[in-house]
Amino acid sequence: MMPDQTLRFIVIDDNKLDCFIADKIIRYGGMFEHVTVFTEATAAIAFIGTNAPPDSITKTIIILDIQMPIMNGFAFMEEFEKLPEDIRLQYAVFMISSSVNESDRDRVTEYPSIRLLMNKPFNKEMLSKMISHLG
Amino acid sequence: MEEKEKIKVLYVDDERNNLVGFKASFRLEYTIFLANDTIEALAYLEKNPDIRIVFCDQRMPVKTGVQFFEEIRSSFPNPIRILITGYSDIESVIEAINVGNVFRYIKKPWSSEDILSAINEGNKFYIANSLIAIKNESLQKAYNELDKFAYSVTHDMRGPLVSLLGAIDIAQDIDDISSIRELLTMMKDSVNNLDEFIQNIHDYYNINRGQLQITEIDFNDIVQEQINTYKLTSKMSHVKFNTHVNQNTPFRSDPMSMKIILNNLLSNAFKYQKRNNPDKLVELSIDIENGLATITVSDNGIGIAEKHIGDIFNMFFRGTSQESGSGFGLYNVKDALLKLNGEIKVHSVLDEGTTFKIVIPNK
Repeated sequence: MMPDQTLRFIVIDDNKLDCFIADKIIRYGGMFEHVTVFTEATAAIAFIGTNAPPDSITKTIIILDIQMPIMNGFAFMEEFEKLPEDIRLQYAVFMISSSVNESDRDRVTEYPSIRLLMNKPFNKEMLSKMISHLG
Repeated sequence: MEEKEKIKVLYVDDERNNLVGFKASFRLEYTIFLANDTIEALAYLEKNPDIRIVFCDQRMPVKTGVQFFEEIRSSFPNPIRILITGYSDIESVIEAINVGNVFRYIKKPWSSEDILSAINEGNKFYIANSLIAIKNESLQKAYNELDKFAYSVTHDMRGPLVSLLGAIDIAQDIDDISSIRELLTMMKDSVNNLDEFIQNIHDYYNINRGQLQITEIDFNDIVQEQINTYKLTSKMSHVKFNTHVNQNTPFRSDPMSMKIILNNLLSNAFKYQKRNNPDKLVELSIDIENGLATITVSDNGIGIAEKHIGDIFNMFFRGTSQESGSGFGLYNVKDALLKLNGEIKVHSVLDEGTTFKIVIPNK
């Protein structure tokens, strides 16, 4: 099967093992080959602002960890929501965390660009859920 | 609370003579404020938030004493309210208690004994209330901390486990042995992180709940111990470790706290090094002089951004994702120093290095 060029991935997580796992799961099976990993959200937001997908058919799934030093998941979203709409629409943000609590659930609703909040560990089922959520 | 300071008492009465008589009787023992009406009384309360006892006559032209007390109950809740009245029918007593929420009820004409005993008892009640307020505040603080603690602990404990679970999952699909080895190295880091975190919680508990055990401290021993601990790290990560001890006089302190402080500062100094620096350096210097231990831990590592310096001692704060940290270490350092009446200063320049300077008094 040819890799799907219209779907790309950005993984933002300060935990290197979690990045490694996500990268492996996404690439596994050869369906997707565009995976960019960031261990710092500040670098990710700079990249996203200047490297939007080349056309409107191509979508990028952002897998975003909540608890990170310096810029956490929510601080990242603050910046992300300020981006121009045509850029934002090319991304689909999925938040993940190893401990989802009520206040996180409440905060997620403040950011319209967040599609879902999911519990770690990231696995194949979660990936399919994200993809099917794109519709 | 100062023992010598006189208790402040406010007396409100529309009859001048009563006011003058009151002041004459009690001015030596208490600081007395006299108010002719409730407006004047409010002004005194506003200016003197430490007024402890308020006496008020019931029968006054504009407002009754009960009405006045009802009014100040919410705006000035702290002073103890005592009603003075010539009318002692049961209805007015009930009203005074239910509406004015008075502490005591004194019948006119009052005797000195009545007033003194009312001030005395009222003052005890006032002190008890203030203590409860202080306790409540610290309880609320502890409660908030616990909340934050529970959240972060679940995250920091579950995080590494979840990573391991994910790693085991994907390992099933990896055939390449070098990828498996790479994965194992990262899994080991994850286990170490969890272990470090649990050790930090243990330290936290020890600092906060444990009693200090003051003994004589030989800093040469302590430093030798640290040299042994970091021998391997120093060699593996090519970090030079220089130490210096100058102790000619005995020094007494709690060895556990001392160890927590040094362990955390040194592990940070070794951890947050610049990866490509060929001359990585950590220095530990200890001087004992005039009953003070001055400890300096410095490195030429990545440094701390100026905007983060104020946050580094906060629980769960992490300033970088270059290395994994629990955000617990420096919090424990600060806590341990608090117990030892010590002080810590930090000087750091981004990309150049960090120096922590600690001064601890002899116990």
